Amino acid sequence: MATLETILMVVILVPLLFAILEFGWLTQRWLAQDGVTLQAARYAGELGGDRPELRSYVQDQLRLVGIEPSRVVIEVEPAYVAWREPVRVSLNTEERIALPFLFATTVAVRSTAVARGEVNR
Amino acid sequence: MTHDDAGTAAVTTLVMLPLLLVVLAGALEFGALRAVAYRAAAAADLATVVAVNDQDQTVLERTGTLRLAAGAADAARDYFARNLDAMASALAVSVADIAASADIASFPAAPATDPRTGARYDRPTVRLIATVPVKTPGFAVLLLPAVTTITVRAASSPR
Repeated sequence: MATLETILMVVILVPLLFAILEFGWLTQRWLAQDGVTLQAARYAGELGGDRPELRSYVQDQLRLVGIEPSRVVIEVEPAYVAWREPVRVSLNTEERIALPFLFATTVAVRSTAVARGEVNR
Repeated sequence: MTHDDAGTAAVTTLVMLPLLLVVLAGALEFGALRAVAYRAAAAADLATVVAVNDQDQTVLERTGTLRLAAGAADAARDYFARNLDAMASALAVSVADIAASADIASFPAAPATDPRTGARYDRPTVRLIATVPVKTPGFAVLLLPAVTTITVRAASSPR
């Protein structure tokens, strides 16, 4: 009976514990990526669009917050932004979460920020 | 464990499980709310920064002083809406309504005093205060409001 009870509790409590841990980890990951996206959007506005310096900056910032840059898809629209026109930067990652005894799935973590072109060509 | 105690732990777990789930739902909802609040504040920050980065070119060329462009407040409202749009599904009202009702003030020349906050600005400033209603269904489980309103504030000046 004791073994049965232990199994029952483990099957219920372990997924609950992992749900809390995975949710916290995913939130932290999202906020970190979001912070990088905001700064990247501002920088894209300063540079006038999608430039190698922007890509390099994003990769450096992602490393600083503990995200492997090769796993992140960076989108900048438009690639060439005119003065006072909006420029949108998006970072996308696929993160895998797993809850023991329940399921494992992939969650898309997407961050987007919009700034304005500051280069008066 | 004696024969009389058999099953006690299992019954206790099952009885406590609803309470545990309710607490879990509340904790997760609170975490999600904090994340949305952070994102809304970041949207407000970026909106005011974008607005103050556009200077009145004529005044700048003529006098060398920084003076905000005429449409700074409108630009802040526009970019606040654009940046809130990414989290529209978490909001209880439309992004357009939130941006439209935001209190955005432009102080094109310094020094200036904000009549609402009393703050004194030594440089041209755009200030934004907005109320953002966020869906919180997890709180409804705890008999708390299903919509939680947060207030975000941001003010930016050019350097």
